[in-house]
Amino acid sequence: MKLTCKVLATTLLAATALSSVAVAQDQKQYRFVMVSHIGSNDPNMGWLTKSMEEFEKKYPNVKTEYISTNNYSVQEHVRLLEQAISTGPDGIAVPIVSSDAFEGPLRKAIDAGIPVVAFNIPDARPDGERIPYLTYVGGDEYLTGKKLGEYALAKVEAGEIPKPTRVVCASHDSAHQGLKARCAGMRDAMEKAGAKVDELFIGAEPATARNTLQSFLQANTDTNYVFTVAGWSSPWAWGVAKDMGLDPDVDGKGVTVLTVDEGPVSIEGVRAGHLLATNSQGFWLQGYAPMEWLYWNKEFGYAPQSDILTGPVIINKDNADNWATLVRGVFGDKAYDEQNTW
Amino acid sequence: MTVKQLTHTQGLGAIIGVVIMLAAFTMIDVSGWWTRQTIANVVQFTAILGFVAMGQALVIMCKEIDLSVGSVYGLTGVAFITLEPTLGVPGSLLAALVIAALAGLVQAIAVVKGQLPSMIVTLGGLFTARGIIYVWTGGSVHNFSEDARNHPVTRLLGGELFGIEAAIFWLIAVGLALNLLLWVTPFGNQLLATGGSKESAESRGVRSNRVKVTAFVLCALLAGFAGVLTLCDRPQTHVTLGELMELEAISAAVIGGCLLTGGRGSLVGAVLGAFIVVSFRYELIALGAPSSWYITFVGVVLIVAVIFNQLLARRLGHSV
Repeated sequence: MKLTCKVLATTLLAATALSSVAVAQDQKQYRFVMVSHIGSNDPNMGWLTKSMEEFEKKYPNVKTEYISTNNYSVQEHVRLLEQAISTGPDGIAVPIVSSDAFEGPLRKAIDAGIPVVAFNIPDARPDGERIPYLTYVGGDEYLTGKKLGEYALAKVEAGEIPKPTRVVCASHDSAHQGLKARCAGMRDAMEKAGAKVDELFIGAEPATARNTLQSFLQANTDTNYVFTVAGWSSPWAWGVAKDMGLDPDVDGKGVTVLTVDEGPVSIEGVRAGHLLATNSQGFWLQGYAPMEWLYWNKEFGYAPQSDILTGPVIINKDNADNWATLVRGVFGDKAYDEQNTW
Repeated sequence: MTVKQLTHTQGLGAIIGVVIMLAAFTMIDVSGWWTRQTIANVVQFTAILGFVAMGQALVIMCKEIDLSVGSVYGLTGVAFITLEPTLGVPGSLLAALVIAALAGLVQAIAVVKGQLPSMIVTLGGLFTARGIIYVWTGGSVHNFSEDARNHPVTRLLGGELFGIEAAIFWLIAVGLALNLLLWVTPFGNQLLATGGSKESAESRGVRSNRVKVTAFVLCALLAGFAGVLTLCDRPQTHVTLGELMELEAISAAVIGGCLLTGGRGSLVGAVLGAFIVVSFRYELIALGAPSSWYITFVGVVLIVAVIFNQLLARRLGHSV
């Protein structure tokens, strides 16, 4: 009887173990790679990596990897992309920072059966000409600039801020298509209101950037709007204008500063009245949604029929408190406060 | 200074360069250039770059080069801000400068003891220090607390004193001290002798390895101090702090009369070289040229300066 019980128990355990193995084997394992230009030198990386962690929690059979460049160069980004392709992932998410440079490796990957989702920056060429990726998930960089410009003009109409005479779009990367598109959107909005718009390459080194911007503002005294295409450079612009006595806070006189991003610097700048507005391009979704679409494509063969816009969403003094709560939830209070450089 | 002394000044090329540049800017943009704001802007940034350029000049004079200064500038600045909550402002200042000095010392030892080319060692230093900044900050920007901003040390090093940027006073003070070190103490002769001919210098009892180590440590300290000054003025770190500054510093030192073959150079020249580099950035923007042209102009000015300095040195009978 004792022996019979032992045999039965062993058989039961073995059967349970085998059935678990069978279930695990039924579920396919996937590896998706995000090849990004947003490196550890950019606080926005946290949005992407944290949302990918959430995705992995929902889909334990998917392993996601985030690789990125720090000292940004298109060549370095292409090299990373080629390395990622050579490892044979089940899907790739990548920003199309340069259509020409990315075309070769991405077409090769797509031809080899690796689905690609563009995120953050799309291939801006028409449908038939662009890289045949599955879909684009991200903001619209042109709309980012345009909507922010239009928002500023609405505030001008309301008599809250001065009419723009000259706008400088301060960019830290002269080769970044997305940043150029932001400036182009701002240009189209502001030129309709009769303002002159200049694009200024300030670089990413803080002291050099401040010096460059100060030189521009001194030489072009009719400039009364500064649009920084990165959130972290907005305090530099505000500081330079403040030092020059140009009254950069949001009011009916002086210089008005606009920026981008849903990071602590941008949001707290709006809350403090230093920045008129910033925008969210839905960074959290940009990490999560490409992985979801790659998964649905691999698992069920689904393919979206259009791009998926995650932004722009205007962040102004009316909704900045809610955004601060949301961002604190992702970054944590300590990191949020540390990153507030105002 | 007599005419004879002037012609023997190592930075004579830079002095002539500044005079020509100012004359040209006056002719093309008199109302834009000669304003208090413009000069204050240019001089303020010249002060920061001037520190890094003086350090670079010291290293170049002893026939070496330091490509890591931009990263050391950034690392020191990041250390100063991020250590402050634990160590307080004076403590974090000291710790940051110790980090800078250590960076110089480690690289110097690798160069003199390891018999390695300084270009390779400091290139490694550039990447190492930049990588440490990435890891240390996690890509985030950091800020000084209100108390730290108002601390007497922060106010003494940053902001303005008597309506003039504090960095300018510090440049004058440190520049005077270094010039005394170079021209009054035996260290100056030893430095130039080491750069001119190491073997010959050693045959006369100069401990050239020790001289080189001192030059590297001073160079790193000056870069670090420039980083601290910048952050006392604007206490916000950023991972790109000091990026490409090494190239501007080398350009400034060379424009200022330092020969990459060693043995010749001037600290005043290096500061004037920094003034030329920064002035060109301002004037190009003022004239409406895209700011991305600036780097091209620095390249052109650099080549012209090297040719001009060599011609000048030959004409004055100096070996080049």
